[in-house]
Amino acid sequence: MVLIEVSNLKKSYGKLDVLKQITFDVNKNDVIAVIGPSGSGKSTMLRSLVHLEEIDGGSICISGDYLVKDGIYSKPQEIKRITSKMGMVFQHFNLFPHLTVKENLELAPRLVKKELNAEIERRSTELLKKIGLSDRASAYPAKLSGGQKQRVAIARALMMNPEILLFDEPTSALDPELTGEVLQVMKQLAEEHMTMIVVTHEMGFAKEVANRVIFMDNGEIIESGLPTEIFTNPKFERTKAFLNRSLK
Amino acid sequence: MSVDYFNSIIKPMLLGAQMTVLLFLIVIVLSIPLGFILTLAVRSRFKPLSWLTQIYIYVMRGTPLLLQLLFICFGLPMIPVIGDYLVLDRFVAACLGFILNYAAYFAEIFRGGLLAIDKGQYEASQVLGLNKWQTMTRIILPQMFRIALPAVANESVTLVKDTALLYAVAVPELLHYAQTAVNRDFTIVPFFIAGIIYLIMTLLLTVLFKWLERRFKFD
Ligand SMILES: Nc1ncnc2c1ncn2[C@@H]1O[C@H](COP(=O)(O)OP(=O)(O)O)[C@@H](O)[C@H]1O
Ligand SMILES: [Mg+2]
Repeated sequence: MVLIEVSNLKKSYGKLDVLKQITFDVNKNDVIAVIGPSGSGKSTMLRSLVHLEEIDGGSICISGDYLVKDGIYSKPQEIKRITSKMGMVFQHFNLFPHLTVKENLELAPRLVKKELNAEIERRSTELLKKIGLSDRASAYPAKLSGGQKQRVAIARALMMNPEILLFDEPTSALDPELTGEVLQVMKQLAEEHMTMIVVTHEMGFAKEVANRVIFMDNGEIIESGLPTEIFTNPKFERTKAFLNRSLK
Repeated sequence: MSVDYFNSIIKPMLLGAQMTVLLFLIVIVLSIPLGFILTLAVRSRFKPLSWLTQIYIYVMRGTPLLLQLLFICFGLPMIPVIGDYLVLDRFVAACLGFILNYAAYFAEIFRGGLLAIDKGQYEASQVLGLNKWQTMTRIILPQMFRIALPAVANESVTLVKDTALLYAVAVPELLHYAQTAVNRDFTIVPFFIAGIIYLIMTLLLTVLFKWLERRFKFD
């Protein structure tokens, strides 16, 4: 079942074409790793899906509803409804520093979904347990390590029960010894069949956890396929060159 | 110096201090919200409003507060035709001058606070589905006020001392009574008493703001 359909996505900043005719599908339960050199448009592509960037042409369809069709965006109310199916985890966590861990988790469900307190608390307790931070519920983000912050950010996104979770280099801002704990949580989500798109430099994670890898360069998808194909037998010179550089 | 003499001058001075405190409270309570409104006006997408507000802030910060006070108290009534309607009670006029001036300073402080907030905060709020109002009131403003707190504390202490400018527009306040007693009794004791009263007021403020800063430390 196709959850995300992206076709002929175009985006430019002035004269700079950042995304050129990007087309790909995401099926339910896919874990897609997006790799490619810095500046190739990975973040812009991901951010377009949740309307943090406006695209200039093409279509984005999220589980049957067009966020944007042939460059024409839906009405604001529709956009809000459609993007609410996705959660996003940022490179720099973007936790709310003036709220405790628990408050970070519970704010949006309370304000946006207007769920019952008991249900919200049940879920936050459960998710804190899942990410192994039950004992830090009342801590402020400033008191957490980078790895802990990113795990909280993942839990915060999950609190909204998204159908799809997007990650933009979730471990790039972390000290190397802290990436493992975050990747572990992501791996667990993959095992629970969460649909995920992960922009990452962690080739190990891409190989091991993703069921499809997309290689982007210079605003284009150069090739995509099974991790084994991409990593062991890349078809294009640019892919080979990139992999050689990053697997060194 | 007798206790009786001390008592006889402390009373009017405390009365004057009341005026000082009253002015301080009125100005703080009104200029902070007004300053915040000015901040929003500067950031408005309606350019003429933004420009006008920036000019206003520039003029208010670029000219002496004393000049502004004199203008409101003595200048406005001299304007042809409408001047007669602009004769305000001195204290009211002074309050107005202080509020208009301090609002400009607070506007700059809050603007700085907003600029210090990472754009990731807006992005995370948007992706979580918060609307503009919720993002502003729940995410941005609490952080902005926290960031602005030390600067607001500074500005408040300055305001306590600036209340002495009431002297120049002949509103009887603390300094006025001190000066009167000095002239009358040929003693500098009233100046010391005035200084001590100012110090007590600024000390209380400093303690209050330190407490607020600790209370909202978020760690
Ligand atoms: N707001 C912006 N204004 C101008 N250029 C931008 C902006 N954001 C990104 N870019 C440019 O778009 C290109 C793609 O950026 P990005 O999507 O962040 O790449 P990646 O995430 O793959 O490193 C880069 O050349 C970058 O400089
Ligand atoms: Mg990026």
